[in-house]
Amino acid sequence: MTYKSDIIGHSVKRSDLIGKVTGDAKYAGDLIWPGMLYGRIKRCKVAHANIVCIDTSKALALPGVKAVLTHENVPRVLHAGSPHPRSVSVTCDQYILDSKVRYWGEGVAAVAATTEEIAEAALELIVVEYEELPAVFTVEDAQKPDAPLIHDRGFGHNLVLQPQVFTRGDVEKGFAEADFIIEGEYEGGRPTPAYMEPNVCACQWDGNGKLTVWISTQTAFMVRGIMAEVLGLPLSKVRVLVDHMGGGFGAKQDLFQHEFLCALLAKQTRRPVRMEYTREETFLGGRSRHPAKVWLKQGFRNDGTLTARQAKVVFNSGAYGSHGPGVTIVGTSALLSLYRCDNVHVEGRCVYTNSPIAGAYRGYGVVQTYYALDIQMDEAAQKLGMDPVVLKLKNAVREGDIAPSNHPLIGHGLEDCIKHGRDIVGWNALRQRTRDKGVVRSGWGIGCEMHGSSAYPGIKEQGNAIVKMNEDGTVVLLTGTAGLGTGAHTALAQIVAEELGVCFEAVSCIHGDTDVVPWDIGAFASHTTYMGGRAAQMAAAKVKEQMLARAAVLMDVAASELEVTGNLVFLRDEPARCMTVKEVVSAKKGIPAAQFVGSATYHPTKSYSFAAHFVEVKVDTETGLISVSQVVPVHEIGKVIHPVGAAGQIEGGIQQGIGHTLYEDYQIDMKTGRSLNANFVDYKMPLSMDMPPIHTVLLETAPDPGGPFGAKGVGEDPIVAIGPAIANAVYDAIGVRFRHYPIRPEQVLKALREKELLEEGAIA
Amino acid sequence: MKQVITFTVNQEEREIAVEPHRSLLDALRSEAGLTGTKKSCDVGECGSCTVIMNGKPVNSCLVLALEARGADITTIEGIQPSGEEVHPLQESFMQCGAAQCGFCTPGFVVMAKALLDENPNPTIDEIRFAIAGNICRCTGYTKIIEAIAKTAGTYPSCTNGFAHKAPQPLREAVATALEKA
Amino acid sequence: MRFFEYSEPATLDEAVTLLRTYPGQTSLMAGGTDLMVQMKEHIRQPDCVISILKIPGMDDFSYDEHNGLTLGALVTTRAVETSPLTQTHYASLARAVTDFASIQVRNRATVVGNVCRASPSADTLPPLIADGAVLHIYGPEGCRRTTVEDFCTGSGKTTLRAGEIVTHIRIPAPAPNTGKAYIKHGRRTQMELATVGVAVTLTLEGGNCRAISIVLAAVAPTPLRARAAEALLRGKPITTAAIAAVAQAASDEARPIGDVRATAEYRRDMVKVLTRRAIEQAIKEAL
Repeated sequence: MTYKSDIIGHSVKRSDLIGKVTGDAKYAGDLIWPGMLYGRIKRCKVAHANIVCIDTSKALALPGVKAVLTHENVPRVLHAGSPHPRSVSVTCDQYILDSKVRYWGEGVAAVAATTEEIAEAALELIVVEYEELPAVFTVEDAQKPDAPLIHDRGFGHNLVLQPQVFTRGDVEKGFAEADFIIEGEYEGGRPTPAYMEPNVCACQWDGNGKLTVWISTQTAFMVRGIMAEVLGLPLSKVRVLVDHMGGGFGAKQDLFQHEFLCALLAKQTRRPVRMEYTREETFLGGRSRHPAKVWLKQGFRNDGTLTARQAKVVFNSGAYGSHGPGVTIVGTSALLSLYRCDNVHVEGRCVYTNSPIAGAYRGYGVVQTYYALDIQMDEAAQKLGMDPVVLKLKNAVREGDIAPSNHPLIGHGLEDCIKHGRDIVGWNALRQRTRDKGVVRSGWGIGCEMHGSSAYPGIKEQGNAIVKMNEDGTVVLLTGTAGLGTGAHTALAQIVAEELGVCFEAVSCIHGDTDVVPWDIGAFASHTTYMGGRAAQMAAAKVKEQMLARAAVLMDVAASELEVTGNLVFLRDEPARCMTVKEVVSAKKGIPAAQFVGSATYHPTKSYSFAAHFVEVKVDTETGLISVSQVVPVHEIGKVIHPVGAAGQIEGGIQQGIGHTLYEDYQIDMKTGRSLNANFVDYKMPLSMDMPPIHTVLLETAPDPGGPFGAKGVGEDPIVAIGPAIANAVYDAIGVRFRHYPIRPEQVLKALREKELLEEGAIA
Repeated sequence: MKQVITFTVNQEEREIAVEPHRSLLDALRSEAGLTGTKKSCDVGECGSCTVIMNGKPVNSCLVLALEARGADITTIEGIQPSGEEVHPLQESFMQCGAAQCGFCTPGFVVMAKALLDENPNPTIDEIRFAIAGNICRCTGYTKIIEAIAKTAGTYPSCTNGFAHKAPQPLREAVATALEKA
Repeated sequence: MRFFEYSEPATLDEAVTLLRTYPGQTSLMAGGTDLMVQMKEHIRQPDCVISILKIPGMDDFSYDEHNGLTLGALVTTRAVETSPLTQTHYASLARAVTDFASIQVRNRATVVGNVCRASPSADTLPPLIADGAVLHIYGPEGCRRTTVEDFCTGSGKTTLRAGEIVTHIRIPAPAPNTGKAYIKHGRRTQMELATVGVAVTLTLEGGNCRAISIVLAAVAPTPLRARAAEALLRGKPITTAAIAAVAQAASDEARPIGDVRATAEYRRDMVKVLTRRAIEQAIKEAL
């Protein structure tokens, strides 16, 4: 599809960047009011315990301390912690503060004081007596019949939800038809989003009992909804403001305890309160990816066609459910697809343990399940004597195949990505090359994925937008979508400008104030451009219609004869007859300016984006260290609205994915549950010298008519594809198969040694 | 007991009152009202708090405010030459898409300025080395490196993700890989 | 951080007096990159922080062929990293301070500070010890000297007595045909605390090794001088087999623990690999 435009498909300058490069941009932690107090949370140092008593008297007596909250003086309302009310994604199992703690680091009390140092000192003066309970840290231990119950959800065995089963066809018959069966166990560790801006919010109440919350969040309306519900307020009494926020990656969809505590401290002290997590707290009190175990079995014919797929997935939820249900459903059902198979039976479960809370994180369960699936395809290729690219291409889902959302797929995006990447890296020649035998060995691998834009069908979302035109022809877009930092608002402005026929600079985007903008579910599920953008396009279309109607009157023609581009309304057949948009809308002598306003709601279904990552790695066989030398990520995302923005998402996702696969693991002591590396010293994210050159390629071969100008999402795809690509490249380099992440150097050495012994044994 | 100190920030003399245990980062953000410099880890592991102090880039979270007495400090707010124009680095960052959420950006821009002040024509490796102490979680560093290289003139222009074309550096890299084979 | 008082004494004697007479806990501070972190993590909670920044003569940075290298207590790791002098004559120390935190930290962190912190994984210690570095200490009883090797007695522990301040380090000039190497092992390329560090200084004579020092970091509570390993090569011809034996011996001498960064077994493996590589590198440098 070749869509010619001066705006869509161009990397226009993002309007939010000037504040970011000059330091003017304000984040919630930059805001300050006279009389503002600082809030801090006291966290427990035990993994599972009842709170016997809390003595706050010494803390209250400390000069500068203005309020202390414990479970005894906060509302006891069970809530979902994570927003998405009335949806299947989340678990209703949290109190603001409970009389029980379920993981090492859970908050048990909060203070507000005149300085941060005093607040911190006050925390130490709060004395808590615990009655320790037995704790479980593995999903195996948690599911034993005699395991302590962390929550009683009624499903037994510390399950967060009923096991989720997805089937298609007849898997037994499928295996019976197979010439070759492969089975394996795959495991994912605990990476965590580690956004650069620690969680933060500030709260203030006015004389009318209205609460204003300034907060770093991806889901302003969800924050409003849950806080109103828990604090017992109508929605009109809660206003949530988000200006700039410093990264979320999915995890900042939840509420974390401090929002409620901040509001309650502000109410009690009648002063504004700001509460900011320390870096350590972003680990202790944040959300990680669900550690997962995937047992996967597949059957193939000798020609490589898949006949059956069976899987059991177990996600470790940590101490609370958060997005456990959503992740379980999306991650498990993803195994219905990617590589086409008529006979599938997959089951997913989610289990509580006394560990750090797992929640929503870019990729949402699919990182874990596709790591298993794509690596196993590579293993199958090796066993079948086929090139993995050939096998994956053969089985890649395509037009008409039913996606996990139950919709038919559009186009051949996955095949396009694989073929294109294969050709530009010269895959066939690379496969033929002589493999290195020296100390450092290089390898090439491919990893494939698909991901849906929008949370449908788990959540029947909607995108809303209001577009209005000012009397000088400039335009305002009111959108509830969140400004995560991805540049999505620029893309929305581009879409509105394109649809309306005005220039990009004429459109300004208002967001981040729940009192003003239309409701939006928030920025996640890669849906902002797809859903928010489509709503914006629809609203803009209405304004265009109104504008052309008035122009028609002014020019004495029929509206259907008119076009508008570049701020100019003109007669299609006689372009010289024209007027500027400004002339159309502006006031005339005795006549006020026209009021053009359009509002639209979009109920998306689902669109799928695809990717194939081609990766070169180098393995030092003496140290076991793996480094990524280069990445060629090929992504098919429908119409590309802002190429630099899209590439930025891909490159950033790759950084996180390389981290997952090689370096990042948030660990706890398996006896006490104590956090071992809640800091940037030992939680290792890739730095500039660890990142390879990335040669991003964007394809537009399978646009989705449901998206604005055919656009689809891109935020989550890169983090899913890169992991298996790396693991497969390591296999190519040293002939050792890893089925887990992160892959540690000591594991590489051990595996190389075992391989050597096997080979010696075979020769001897 | 607060002490009053004077120092120069962004070429302006300032006077603030701070306790001895106040970090320079906190003093800049609160007492001096310059919130552009960010606190992300507070222990010198991420570079978000980078400022230039007496000509050298440092982590302001690891400097006591009192040490800044009489010092000459540049923060992100002082990088642009005037209200009307931005520094070429800032322009490049915007054009190349080197900022997404923007929280790490002040630290990178200040560090990049310090690099270019010392070494106006760094190689890509030298750029990577210079920013090795700055963490970004959004961009994967690719466009940050491009933006710095572009400012220095080491890169002709920013690359975009684009359709149907293989970028030049890739062809060379693949060719090299094949040569070795 | 907890409240503390801050002082910038103008002379060594003032500093020493303050250290001795202040009614409470004191901590000396140079670059502050260790102390600030320790205070924020409540590992150290001094009542008074005494900065040595204003004391004259502490920023000496000079070299001559007779006295070797002098590094004052205020000489930063960045200064050492970027100096052609150290790159030429003290290549292992130069390497150690290059692969050290970030430039932002190195602009403040001092070599003497790194020594006094005496972390088992400290990067400057192995090269300094391998080169026979000597600390000059000023205290209530005047000046004294001690080798860096003797100075570090345990994890975070030194022989520094109450009221004493390290004023500078002196490292002997290298003998002719000497090569120095420091290899640090970490998961990432920069910003790492060493999982293992190996410093080798060796002097060649013909095809023989005339002198050799091998010092290991992060495999014991203090830097570990691999003396048994050294003995296998000192005065002997340098062959591949000999180097391999030395590497194995160094690995056997190491006493690593397992922690969140690496297992003990892996650390031992890396001592073997990196000792061999460091010797090979030092030989290249010597030639």
